[in-house]
Amino acid sequence: MNRTKGFLVLESGETFSGLWQQGGREQSGTGQSDGLAWDRAGEVVFNTSHSGYEEMATDPSYLNQIIVLTAPQQGNYGENDEFWESERIWIDGFVCVEMQNSWRDQRWLEKLGRHKVPVLTEVDTRKLVFRLRDQGTPWGALVRAETAEEALAKSKDLIAAKKKLDKDWVHFASVKEERTLKGDNPRGPKIAVLDFGCKMNSLRELKSRCSEIRVFPSRTDAKKIRAYNPDGILLTNGPGDPGDVQVAPETLKDLIGWKFIFGICMGHQVLGRALGGETYKLKFGHRGSNHPIKDSLLNKIYMSSQNHGYAVKLDTLPKTVQVTHVNLNDNTVAGIYDPGRKAMSVQFHPESHPGPHEAAELFDFFIRQTQ
Amino acid sequence: MVILGSGPIVIGQACEFDYSGTQACKALMKEGLDVILINSNPATIMTDAEIATRVYIEPLKLAYVEKILRQERPDAVIPTLGGQTALNLALELDKAGILKELNIQLLGATPDVIRAAEDREKFRTILDQVGAKYPASHMVRTFEHGMQVASELGFPLILRPNYTLGGAGGGIAFSLEEYQTMIAAGLHASPTSEVLVEASILGWQEFELEVMRDKAGTFVVICSIENFDPCGVHTGDSITVAPQQTLSDVAYQEMRDEARKIIEAVGVQTGGANIQFAVHPDTGERVVIEMNPRVSRSSALASKATGFPIAKIAALLAVGYKLEELRNDITGTTPCCYEPALDYVVTKIPRFAFEKFQGTKDSLTTQMRSVGEVMGIGRTFKESFQKALVSLEESELGPYPVTLDEALLSYPNSKRIYQIFQAFRDGRSVDDVHAQTQVHPWFLEHVEELALFEKEIAKSDLNADFLRQAKRRGFADASIARLTGKTADEVRDLRWKNKIVPAYLQVDTCAGEFKSETPYYYSTYHSESHAVKFPPAMVALLGSGPNRIGQGVEFDYSCVRSVRQFQRSGHKVAMINSNPETVSTDYDTSDALFFEPLTFESVLEILRLIEPVGFVGQLGGQTPINLAHRLVKAGQKLLGTTLESIDLAEDRGLFTKICQELNFRIPLSGMATDLKAAQDIAARIGFPIICRPSYVIGGRRMELVENGEELATYFTRHGAFIRPDAPCMMDQFLDRALEVDVDLVRGPDWTIIGGVIEHIEAAGVHSGDSMGVVPPQRLKDETCAMIEDLSRRLADRLNVRGFLNLQLAVKDDQVFMLEANPRSSRSVPFIAKATGIPLVDLGVRGILGDKAADVQPQKYDWHKIKGVAVKGVVFPFKKFPDADSILGPEMKSTGETMGRGPDYPEALLKAIVSSDLQLPASGEVFLSLREKDKEELFDVVKDLDQLGFQLSGTAGTAAYLESKGLECLTVKKVHEGRPHCVDRIRSGDIAFVINTTSGRTSIEASFGIRRSCVDYSIPCITESDAARAFVIALKKRKQGDFTVNPL
Repeated sequence: MNRTKGFLVLESGETFSGLWQQGGREQSGTGQSDGLAWDRAGEVVFNTSHSGYEEMATDPSYLNQIIVLTAPQQGNYGENDEFWESERIWIDGFVCVEMQNSWRDQRWLEKLGRHKVPVLTEVDTRKLVFRLRDQGTPWGALVRAETAEEALAKSKDLIAAKKKLDKDWVHFASVKEERTLKGDNPRGPKIAVLDFGCKMNSLRELKSRCSEIRVFPSRTDAKKIRAYNPDGILLTNGPGDPGDVQVAPETLKDLIGWKFIFGICMGHQVLGRALGGETYKLKFGHRGSNHPIKDSLLNKIYMSSQNHGYAVKLDTLPKTVQVTHVNLNDNTVAGIYDPGRKAMSVQFHPESHPGPHEAAELFDFFIRQTQ
Repeated sequence: MVILGSGPIVIGQACEFDYSGTQACKALMKEGLDVILINSNPATIMTDAEIATRVYIEPLKLAYVEKILRQERPDAVIPTLGGQTALNLALELDKAGILKELNIQLLGATPDVIRAAEDREKFRTILDQVGAKYPASHMVRTFEHGMQVASELGFPLILRPNYTLGGAGGGIAFSLEEYQTMIAAGLHASPTSEVLVEASILGWQEFELEVMRDKAGTFVVICSIENFDPCGVHTGDSITVAPQQTLSDVAYQEMRDEARKIIEAVGVQTGGANIQFAVHPDTGERVVIEMNPRVSRSSALASKATGFPIAKIAALLAVGYKLEELRNDITGTTPCCYEPALDYVVTKIPRFAFEKFQGTKDSLTTQMRSVGEVMGIGRTFKESFQKALVSLEESELGPYPVTLDEALLSYPNSKRIYQIFQAFRDGRSVDDVHAQTQVHPWFLEHVEELALFEKEIAKSDLNADFLRQAKRRGFADASIARLTGKTADEVRDLRWKNKIVPAYLQVDTCAGEFKSETPYYYSTYHSESHAVKFPPAMVALLGSGPNRIGQGVEFDYSCVRSVRQFQRSGHKVAMINSNPETVSTDYDTSDALFFEPLTFESVLEILRLIEPVGFVGQLGGQTPINLAHRLVKAGQKLLGTTLESIDLAEDRGLFTKICQELNFRIPLSGMATDLKAAQDIAARIGFPIICRPSYVIGGRRMELVENGEELATYFTRHGAFIRPDAPCMMDQFLDRALEVDVDLVRGPDWTIIGGVIEHIEAAGVHSGDSMGVVPPQRLKDETCAMIEDLSRRLADRLNVRGFLNLQLAVKDDQVFMLEANPRSSRSVPFIAKATGIPLVDLGVRGILGDKAADVQPQKYDWHKIKGVAVKGVVFPFKKFPDADSILGPEMKSTGETMGRGPDYPEALLKAIVSSDLQLPASGEVFLSLREKDKEELFDVVKDLDQLGFQLSGTAGTAAYLESKGLECLTVKKVHEGRPHCVDRIRSGDIAFVINTTSGRTSIEASFGIRRSCVDYSIPCITESDAARAFVIALKKRKQGDFTVNPL
């Protein structure tokens, strides 16, 4: 029985003990010694989805984050590259109550191990979630240690180092070079994607509706996009604070009103700022597959997939901007539309993965506006 | 607004509908609506006079409901809360044009929706429209067509008769022979004579989604459920887990999309529905099995599993609300349009009663057979699974060791889970067990891990860290004790010493994301205790656990009804129960709900946590009584009647002494540990004798023994249950005696008799199986007074504080005391509703020690009862092929009905109609009477003749009747050659049967008669007084008139 101890240490000094899981049965007991090297720091966030651990771990929006899964049993259905939302695992740690680790199937645990993502199980995630919910999203570190004191000592530097990273996380998660994808619909529009750390499924949703897609790095200037002459522009999801995103705000200011723009999550926040609004950090964010959205654009209410720590401030938006989507749990702004300036955006994830599919219709809405 | 209930408790339709209906009534009453409730089941909370504006305890049959509708002229009927019974009734009301004529709306589901979901051919057309797949199948309407279909699809085949409850008449046919029998029975069981014959999806994984939709089209999945048992076992008989565990998000979301499309296409406007899917374990191919456009057993489970009150919300949606307009009660801040997020795992395990139905093979198929269920909540599957296993109350060990039996491992049966455990203990591999069972390896691995961990426990020194690991895996103290050679108390003390105690977490619908105030808790060792503050002076109320034959919804009624009285007396109430079907486990029934096993270990932990003024053990049937001793020994305070008094009533020896001391007549009796001693006792007390082992519930293994030969065979058959510490109890049988039940409540200086129920059948039939009437019809007034006097004196002697149930017998005007139960009983709700005396409230005041000056007992006189109330019973024999339907001292009924009327015949008629016995208007009555009944029943038979029935009988009976001048056809007995009486019954020539018999040999010889009646839904009366009552009802029905009145 693997009984290696590990801790999640929060910046405040609070510790949560658990079992340090190291890369599945095959790797455990082989005396592998670089386990310590896996100690990692990140923002500690929780997600309440029941399924979709692969989609979450490979979502670039989770850059620099340790993810706490409230669903206790993880790794149950193994691993499947088709579910990946990008080409790598972005999270800095995986915390849950129990992880699938049998001779038959330990693929997910192994996969995380191969990417040196620390996994801590048997954690009192309930208590942890209460802490995150009541006091907001903290920095923290996952470390292998025998005692809480040892863990505290190890985590200090890790957290400090992580906090020194460049704040434009979007730049880090974005593609570095333009790339062009052929769409499946020859009669569909041509779309420019400004990549803030895009989930694959947004591209898949576009691909099925478009003739061509070109993905641009986040720091692309307006000239390049104008030169491509797309029918519409998609601003994708991505990690971090929208206030720290470089270049894209200027690019957007130039492009707004030119072609129809559709923003998702980070794209929504950056667009909101470009339209004149402000953003703020939510206490503990929205992360899950069960958030109710009242959508006055499609005129329905549906469950949405969410993953964000910031939001657009309602009373800072100019009069031309309509609030078309509201999160019914806390009445925060979940979507905006400025018909005059040909821009709309949503805070949640119409591309789902994980989560329910009802909002995918918003892609149709977007495509219609570009034609 | 009319709400239709679901009628008596039957297999496949149990008290989950009491929960749904009660919740809906409460919600609509709160909206200020007038709610009219119709249900024939007196044991439920929903038929309590305070639940609705007006409560009609009347038959759920067209004529009666029509009369109520004409009397009440409601605006609408909600048919989606009373199971299949209510849906079918709604269709009938629609078909008869009554709804249209009276301008009554059907809310929740229109007739079109009901037909679209229930008519399998229509449903398949809809599935085609939305692109969903289903197993290849054909609708069979004739036997010949059935044969064609079989050759086309090949075996095994699944049979699903249309419009039946809990899959009645359905099953899996593996061979042509089996198939031929089953298709015939299935065509008969279906009211439309249609059976869907389906290609087998045996071994596929089974899933269910509980969904809701409002009129604006907002769609939410409340809960996903995954079955442990693969397809082939009815979902009601499967172990199930929520939320689903083995589907990827991609696969799950596809299933969710499909559910949304189906509910739209079927046309469900508002409310809850459940959709069942099968998924191929390797290819992931998905097919739809069925859909129910109403609340269901699964939706009750889903409500308890998630904290989302589906029935309540369904009722509010039906009257026009939208999900976004309703608040989530649990968080108090978020709206109802959300999908619950669970940070725990829930396991449901059904409870079975095969042992009561000798002759039926214990095997699980697509026809539901379980009689109850438990739910365990834990942080992991392992923890929740083991909690559910101990909740079954079969063994404190949970998965107790058994001897591995390949046969029992290889097909689904009620004990297979123990075999699977044992297989892993014996070193079998997951692959191997998977090959035998087709249970998904994900589940098997967890079971294997538990089985292997037992070996670690056995080797362990039980240090704190290890002990915590064991507790996190859900091992009970008793189980750890067994493995380490300690006592459970030692293990517990070790735990406490190391501060290893469970934490109590809230079921909060949102995985902790939002603050929640609702005090609905489960325990886990996967978390540290949070400082939850409990109010002082709480009363802890122990519920009755899983429904089983002999302990069902009646006890939930007492528990729930008592809460308000405790509250009025200034107490907060903590409810402890493990049964997800009940009203007691609704989060707003009590002040704090602990969804926990009713074991000594788990109850003690809760009592230590909340530090109540005491616990109440009188309301939840035998389960809490059995725990009381150990809890008191552990320092907890029992409220009401003391342990010493309980022992005086429960211990046969002590009870006999008390009765002798009070000069009560009791049947002669003795206790024997072997046959020799038994024969000596028999010589002393004389035959017939009632024999039973020491510790029984619901009269298990209790038999009437008529002679020495039978006594010997009794010992051969049941010897295993007779030991020196558990001798065989032998009681003189009072032949032809009249039995009565008395329920009374008592305080320090007062006693109130709730009523005296006279059994309709003579002594010998278990009180739970006999019909009963209040006020008594045959008892002389002075005898009744004597009974009441004896009851009071016994209650005084036992110094009862609270409830006392007594069973007495009257023979030749002499009263015998048979049995005393120092607790609320099965008959309490019936009495309370028949007499209008708030018996449970008064019992609570007795428990709390209120004085006569406050209680004013003189206000409650059951003799002032208006009209007559008859208790009817329903039996599950149809679900148990090859079991005998003869009534005896062992209880076999699952539910009860109540008939109310101005006089005995009308009340009797209604009770019988509600019990789903078909009352024939004409035709042939087949009589097979034992010698002593021939003369006694002669006037009854004469009445039948006058009513225009053709009489037929076995040679002896026919000769006797002919000799008395009645025309009677002679029919051969089974062993006399063909065509014999059973052939006649099976060919549909017989309208009903009276078959009285006694003695093992003649009972066995006449088995075929009773069984064929069960199979063909022909009434078969097996007791002479019941026959008399049945004929009274027949006469009454011929008159045609009846009344309907609210409580």
